[in-house]
Amino acid sequence: MAWNEPGGGNQQDPWSGGGRRGSGNGSGGGNGGNNQGPPDLDEALKKFQDKLSRLMGKRGKRGGDSNGGGSGGKGNPFILPGVLVIIVLAIWAGSGFYVVDQSERGVVLRFGKYYDTVNPGLHWSPTFVDQVTRVNVTEVRSFRQNASMLTSDTNIVTVRLSAQYQVANPRDYVLNVRDPEQSLRNALDSTLRHVVGASGMQNVLTSTTEVEEVKQIDEGGKVPDMPETVEDPSELPVVTMTPPVPDSLLSGREELGPEVAKRLQESLDAYGLGLRLQTVNLESTQAPDQVQDAVDDVIRSREDRQRLINEARAYENALQPRTEGEAQRFIEEATGYRNTVVSDAEGQTSRFLAVLGEYQQAPEVTRQRLYLDTVSEVLGNNRKALIDVGSQNNSMIYLPLDQLGKPRAGGSGVDSQDIRELESVFQQVQNEPLSGSDNSSGQRQSSGISREGR
Amino acid sequence: MVNNRALGIVALLAVGAWIASSSLYVVTEKQRAIKLRFGEVVQADIEPGLHVKWPVLNTVRFFDARVQMLESTESRFLTARRNALIVDSYVKWQVVDPSLYYQSTRGEVSRAEDLIAPRVDESLRNAFGSREVDKIISEERNEMLEEPQEQLDKRLREEVGVAILDIRLKRVELPQEVQQAVFQRMRTERNAEARQYRAQGEEQAERIRARADRERQVTLADARKKAETLRGEGDAKAAEIYASAYTQDQDFFNFYRSLQAYRNSFDKGDDMLLLSPDSEFFRYFRSPTGEASSNDE
Repeated sequence: MAWNEPGGGNQQDPWSGGGRRGSGNGSGGGNGGNNQGPPDLDEALKKFQDKLSRLMGKRGKRGGDSNGGGSGGKGNPFILPGVLVIIVLAIWAGSGFYVVDQSERGVVLRFGKYYDTVNPGLHWSPTFVDQVTRVNVTEVRSFRQNASMLTSDTNIVTVRLSAQYQVANPRDYVLNVRDPEQSLRNALDSTLRHVVGASGMQNVLTSTTEVEEVKQIDEGGKVPDMPETVEDPSELPVVTMTPPVPDSLLSGREELGPEVAKRLQESLDAYGLGLRLQTVNLESTQAPDQVQDAVDDVIRSREDRQRLINEARAYENALQPRTEGEAQRFIEEATGYRNTVVSDAEGQTSRFLAVLGEYQQAPEVTRQRLYLDTVSEVLGNNRKALIDVGSQNNSMIYLPLDQLGKPRAGGSGVDSQDIRELESVFQQVQNEPLSGSDNSSGQRQSSGISREGR
Repeated sequence: MVNNRALGIVALLAVGAWIASSSLYVVTEKQRAIKLRFGEVVQADIEPGLHVKWPVLNTVRFFDARVQMLESTESRFLTARRNALIVDSYVKWQVVDPSLYYQSTRGEVSRAEDLIAPRVDESLRNAFGSREVDKIISEERNEMLEEPQEQLDKRLREEVGVAILDIRLKRVELPQEVQQAVFQRMRTERNAEARQYRAQGEEQAERIRARADRERQVTLADARKKAETLRGEGDAKAAEIYASAYTQDQDFFNFYRSLQAYRNSFDKGDDMLLLSPDSEFFRYFRSPTGEASSNDE
């Protein structure tokens, strides 16, 4: 810093106080050692300057222009001290220049008192008299906070946010508080924990709309009933075991940033830090790492729910057309049947009517002919047994034994048992009316007589 | 000697400078200062600015006048129900009475902090000890500290010359072992939620499948109904056609249809017919004149 060299103050600056420069570590007083009353400085200066100009032939006003160092040969005892004083003065004057950058403001303390806040540009202030502290006011500083904390319903959440701030009042920033940045960090920490601590976990983790949705659920974690059918996945009920707290400070997570910002700015103003918050950005709120896997599983389970529903929908969508097809088949078949039956009826009736026409020409003969034709055809196509049953006297029995005995399923020939069976059948037949039972008796007979691989 | 005289003047100037430097002092706005004469306070609270003192005789002590912060280490407090909480806090304080401050701390910040910290700790303990955990965490986080702050402020102003501007809690946390229990509970709650969601999915899927099955059944039944109606229509139409034709000669129809029926019944050729010779067919089989048989159909 400065040497304690004497220097005649070439001071144009109006400062309050005496005619000697002082500073914390002391500095050269002027020509007078009288520390009680300020001497008439102007006069002293004038004299001194006159002397100097006489000595040097010019005024050593410009700083750094030290072209005198040699000891004068004239024997003037004031030359050396004078030169020294001039050099010191020049250096002192030169050291008073400072530049305040575009992004900065300078806070000037004159003799320790706040004097001015200066704007960007080149400035001069007397060293030892003024203290200049440059403060960057345009730079947006940011501070990131990441911490886990308790909520009002005794859950733990992890919040990550960043605060961006600027120096708004350089004077306060420099003078009021010992460590403004650290103060801000602590205030943010405290405020954030307070806000989160006064809110429920759901209110911190989810948005207001979702919280409102969850509030529809009865208190106590009762799960809502599934609606009858859900067309829109967003209609599906939300399940929560940790319902939102009714008197929560925050209603949803998007309020966290603004709320913290508001309260934090109040604290900053109360402390007089001279800082202004730009924004508080909420980067994330989430469950702590120890619970994260379970939270992820909840998200997965919601996906699973959707997947199950989609699969069922796919089943439904695949089933519907098949069903429609089958239904159509029924109808087609029925339509076909209807048309067939009608056509058959028409065909048969037209045939009948044709035959009827013939019949009406010659009823008796036609009738007989038809009868004989039919019976001969039937009898010709089938095996038969002509039996004279009952007590008719002149009856004959015709048994085509070679036919009867013919094995139909690789059986042996007719044995006595077969014949006995036959006879028992005949007994039955005899007791039944022939009409309408030909078929059944024939079938019974066949079942009786056929030997299905004994 | 010229040089000697010159040096003498320089020396004089240097002495002057020393005197000036040791008799002038500046108090900045960041500071509070007191002036002492042989250790005795003669000027208690000196304004910012340039001031004069006697060299040697007076000494000046400067103290930081800005707001200072004292951060407590985390400590374990008990609440009203003997639950433990891990708490850390910070205190904002400021020198307000430099002479008193100097007397009680010799002007050393660390000493001041040694005086402040235990008292803050004690008042926090009292504040915590009279409240429940949930109150501390949420509602009264700041309010609970107002009264201790005021009391401490009053006492420390009188005793140490510092003002307590603010006491704030930072972390208020559960002890490690309790935290584990909280995590466990949170996990089980999340697991229950996940199970619920999956169950909901299954329920909804079952509903959809059931609905699909029901719709299928209904659709098929409707189709069958329609089909039967169609068949009925066909049958009715056919019956009408038959009737309109056959009623023209019922007797012949019976005969004709019966013949058709016989033909159809025995068309497979694997039936066994047992015939009585007195049927109509064998009328002439028995005798050339033929007698009508009663059993003939």
